[in-house]
Amino acid sequence: MEFDWSPEDAAFRSALAAFLEEALPPDWDERAQDGPGSAQQAAFARDFCPALAARGFLTPHWPAAFGGRDASPWQHAILGEELWSRGEPRGPQYMNVNWIGPALLEYGSEAQRAEHLPRIARGDVFWCQGFSEPDAGSDLLALRTLAVRDGADYVVNGSKLWTSYANHADFCFLLARSDPASRRQRGLTVLLAPMDLPGIEVREVPSVVGERYFHEVAFRDVRVPEAARLGPEGEGWAVVAYALQYERVGAPRYARAARTLDRLAERLASAGPLDGETLARLGEARALCEAGRVLSYRVVDRRARGEPPSADTNVARVAGTFAEQWVADLALELGGCEGLEAGSFADAQFRMAMTAGVAVGATEVQLDLIASRFLGLPRE
Amino acid sequence: MDFELSEEQRAIAEAVAALLAKHAGWERAAALAREGACDFALERALADAGFLDAATSGEAGLLEAALVVEAVAHAAGAVAAGAAALAVPAALGRALPGPVALADLAQPGPVRFAADARTLLLLDGAAARALTLEPGDVPRLETPYGYPMGRIPVSLAAAGHDLGPGAGARLRDAWRAALAVELAGTMRGALETTLGYLKQRRQFGRPLASFQAVQHRLAACSVQVEAARWLAFETAARRAPAEGAALAAAYAAGAARRLFAETHQLSGAIGYTREHPLHVFSMRLQALRLELGGAAEHARAAAAARWGRA
Repeated sequence: MEFDWSPEDAAFRSALAAFLEEALPPDWDERAQDGPGSAQQAAFARDFCPALAARGFLTPHWPAAFGGRDASPWQHAILGEELWSRGEPRGPQYMNVNWIGPALLEYGSEAQRAEHLPRIARGDVFWCQGFSEPDAGSDLLALRTLAVRDGADYVVNGSKLWTSYANHADFCFLLARSDPASRRQRGLTVLLAPMDLPGIEVREVPSVVGERYFHEVAFRDVRVPEAARLGPEGEGWAVVAYALQYERVGAPRYARAARTLDRLAERLASAGPLDGETLARLGEARALCEAGRVLSYRVVDRRARGEPPSADTNVARVAGTFAEQWVADLALELGGCEGLEAGSFADAQFRMAMTAGVAVGATEVQLDLIASRFLGLPRE
Repeated sequence: MDFELSEEQRAIAEAVAALLAKHAGWERAAALAREGACDFALERALADAGFLDAATSGEAGLLEAALVVEAVAHAAGAVAAGAAALAVPAALGRALPGPVALADLAQPGPVRFAADARTLLLLDGAAARALTLEPGDVPRLETPYGYPMGRIPVSLAAAGHDLGPGAGARLRDAWRAALAVELAGTMRGALETTLGYLKQRRQFGRPLASFQAVQHRLAACSVQVEAARWLAFETAARRAPAEGAALAAAYAAGAARRLFAETHQLSGAIGYTREHPLHVFSMRLQALRLELGGAAEHARAAAAARWGRA
């Protein structure tokens, strides 16, 4: 057990931070307030991701054969901390490098890897995630979208919901039921569906979280070629379970919360000396961010030693979510009524954080998994 | 970064666990607590085996000391291991004759191990003083909060020799790191006790631990215990920096408050009795979480270290 950064990882972080200092525009913090899916952030990512790629900062943790340099999972985590905490200048592309790429590396055919990995590694492609449905939210395995074989194609019918970035996406990482008679985790298949296929319709679901944050993606008789199937037919749940282990800690919410807290403290201090009560509340919130950080590091540590994913991921997720929500509440409370104006500092923090307990599986689902897998408690 | 024990660390952890299995445990702690007594036999055993000077003997370091302190807390040892093995070496770079008690003059009231201590460290604002105690110098007092305690007489408040410039801050940081480690080990004991009980306790025809309403609360507790433990080990390994130690202590003290409430609520009436292990851990949590001003004061110190007291 030791808690020092290796010289390589420390150097990587400072090089990345120096690059970001110079590459992000001076008003970046304000521009980033609408979240990675906003039109301007996606537009920014179109130029920024190739620039990251050119410096070796997009996929360093990938194998050299696919555009990476076999960097440690710790550098993957550092990337997430430095970029997500700054409001995610990669826009929706953070998902590509965090979990779509790794899923392709694990399950992709040679042709699929050749088609997708270089585009992701160059930073010129957007993906969205087609998991949730109107009747399959926390209970993802209730999903009903069908992908039925017909000759050399799968014919997809159904509807995906809450799909962030669907308006920008070139591809959808689509989970559907290839066996209409199947139930739960059996009979599911993953398709790498191009979003420009005939029969796909994207509709915004307006929300208070932000503009174009949620979408519904309707599939009507969409013909997806068999060659776009990721992994074996009927084994889609294994593919998704693999990807989810990366996704749940892929966006380091604790890091964003910690940076928000730094900015909040700075804003408060600029208005006058921080009193004891304010200091105590800021410190308390930072301690919660620290909990999220150290538990996420535990997950990365297991990954770095090649251990199979464990319920540590769910433990880290719960702590990260809690920290982000706590900090967002604090930003509102310490900022007072000024936070009620759309686009104000506190408003942006608050609305970015409000989905934390629901996205990627509700906190209650995480707690269920901790109870069964981490504490070994019997199912109800 | 490496969260797994090295071979040497595993050897230390296994050896101290074996010693504690023989010389500590909740029943012994409960009996000693009833008399307000310090466990000198355990202290001697730990010292003889070299565990209390892990951080100053040269071969190991503060992280190894933290492993020992966490294990002692988890086994409900009634010894001042946090001060001897971790806080004093981290602050002063050397050992002092034990037991060592730490008192903050800004926090009046009972002080853990003060009635049994050979060395008393006094925090007086930015200054710190050390004095050697004779038996009876500090009167023992009665407390239900699990540790032997004493009250520092006013006559001793200005006594002792000054430990030099900066010693107050160093001692405060180191003490916070040790507190975080002791809180982590004690919370682990409280949670494991509760988990074990709820798995076997049947009501409504099934184990209480099979109810989702109970499981979610246990799961949330386990998140906090895990986080407290890793933060405590991390800050010890980094030699108790001001901000990191204060954050680890703030987190652990805040978690301890919730752990007390949750473990007692979930354990029901048996949890209040001296026939059940929970009180040995839970009552100590209250003592630990108040030291040095408690969670709010740790948080304030962390914030001041990070953002300045403008």
